[in-house]
Amino acid sequence: MTTSNPTLAIPGQLLGSTSKYQPGPGTHIHNHNVHASLMGTVHIAQPAKAPGPVKRLTKITPAPAPAELPTISVTVPTRSAGSDHTGQKKREVLPEVGNVVLCRVIRITPRQAVVAILVCGDTVLDAEWQGLIRVQDVRATEKDRVKIYESFRPGDIVRAEVISLGDQANYYLSTARNELGVILATSEAGNAMHPVSWKEYRDSETGLTELRKVAKPY
Amino acid sequence: MADRRRINGPPGATMAPVFEDDAGQPEIKNGKGRDRAPNVIRKTFLKTGVTPSASGSAYLEFEGSSKSGVSGLKLSCTVHGPRSLPRSSPFSPHIVLSAHVKYAPFATKQRRGYLRDPSERDLGTHLETALRGAIIADRWPKSGVDIIISIIEGDQDRETSKSQGDETWDMMNVLSGCITVASAALADAGIDCVDTVAGGVAALVQDAGEDSTPRIVVDPIPSDHEKVLGACCVAYLPTRDEVTNLWFKGDLPASDAGLYTQLVENGIQASRNANRVLVECLGEATS
Repeated sequence: MTTSNPTLAIPGQLLGSTSKYQPGPGTHIHNHNVHASLMGTVHIAQPAKAPGPVKRLTKITPAPAPAELPTISVTVPTRSAGSDHTGQKKREVLPEVGNVVLCRVIRITPRQAVVAILVCGDTVLDAEWQGLIRVQDVRATEKDRVKIYESFRPGDIVRAEVISLGDQANYYLSTARNELGVILATSEAGNAMHPVSWKEYRDSETGLTELRKVAKPY
Repeated sequence: MADRRRINGPPGATMAPVFEDDAGQPEIKNGKGRDRAPNVIRKTFLKTGVTPSASGSAYLEFEGSSKSGVSGLKLSCTVHGPRSLPRSSPFSPHIVLSAHVKYAPFATKQRRGYLRDPSERDLGTHLETALRGAIIADRWPKSGVDIIISIIEGDQDRETSKSQGDETWDMMNVLSGCITVASAALADAGIDCVDTVAGGVAALVQDAGEDSTPRIVVDPIPSDHEKVLGACCVAYLPTRDEVTNLWFKGDLPASDAGLYTQLVENGIQASRNANRVLVECLGEATS
């Protein structure tokens, strides 16, 4: 997976033919050619080489599958969560199905938790997208016996996965995996808490435990 | 009996200054005319990234000409987005584009109001149509993008020619500038576009003189000519060879049927020239 010499591209610029490249992000296809859609640098990613046929004296092995085409894409430098802000051009990213996002719980009802999506992948979002974690998406097991009040509280920071584009106002998120769930919580007394098990957080000062759906820390 | 409770103006009547009327000056339009070849557009300055707080921005200037008495065109464009749509709007699987064009009150000879008037709404609609053909809309579901253009100086001359009283021909130049600057700002904002759109204007003009035949010129300055018979503004995608918006205005003589297509062809040529400026500006911005 290496990138070759980067050249600059503007929207509409011809990058190559579809017989030589596969289109990646930032490109589109028109008339069997790959054109750029964004203004940025061109990157070509070589595909992983399939292993060649194993030599066997007594067995006939099939011919190797034809090598995949390299993927060509145009990237704009994004403002990632850890970089400095010295004139770095930012680009808005949209949460897509399958992305892991960080969000803050705004409201809880017995059937769902309303969250505000803050970070998508590595990019801090500018726009305020709202998400919904329904009661059947909180856990993978015992879905009917989930209580939202014992899984999330308003103000918690939650790591979740986008499962659907949702309707006009909300994305649909899920925390039904071990590594998804609450990563940062504040106790009712106002202190920071540390996780003790998959369903408990303990207040560092008072020692009281509170129930949450905890994300696996490692 | 002076009123000492308030700060008063000077006592006695005052009169506003009255300037001498320009009509007394000799006709300076004769012999002026257009100083460029018929297929050459005015010099353009285009720069992106001028507004740091917006997702994308661009600034465009067409050079003014003191010989023709035209002030030049100055446009500033900001793009906000893609951002989430308001809660009340229905679900849309593609991006929702909204374009707003506004003249600054001091931009034209006749002072404009602070609220948008129908001509600005018209420009906004044309701009939206031109850009909708270039944006790849389904990469951004549930999002909206706002394009806001401020016209800082309208392309008007200090003394309009006697034969035309309205400024609709200036609007064509303004629209072509709006399309070009919006395209640069969209590329700066990182919104997927099929191609760079640029706007170009071509007009059928008639110069002063008894035996002058109408000719087609590109990027017209209305006061350079005796009469503008018709004009068209074209938004064109050069790589795909497609026109996304065509605005035609005027009265063409019915004798020549091919004049319409000829005018559109020249408009496309003007758009190609403007696109060269756009490509060079974006090339500088990426490097």
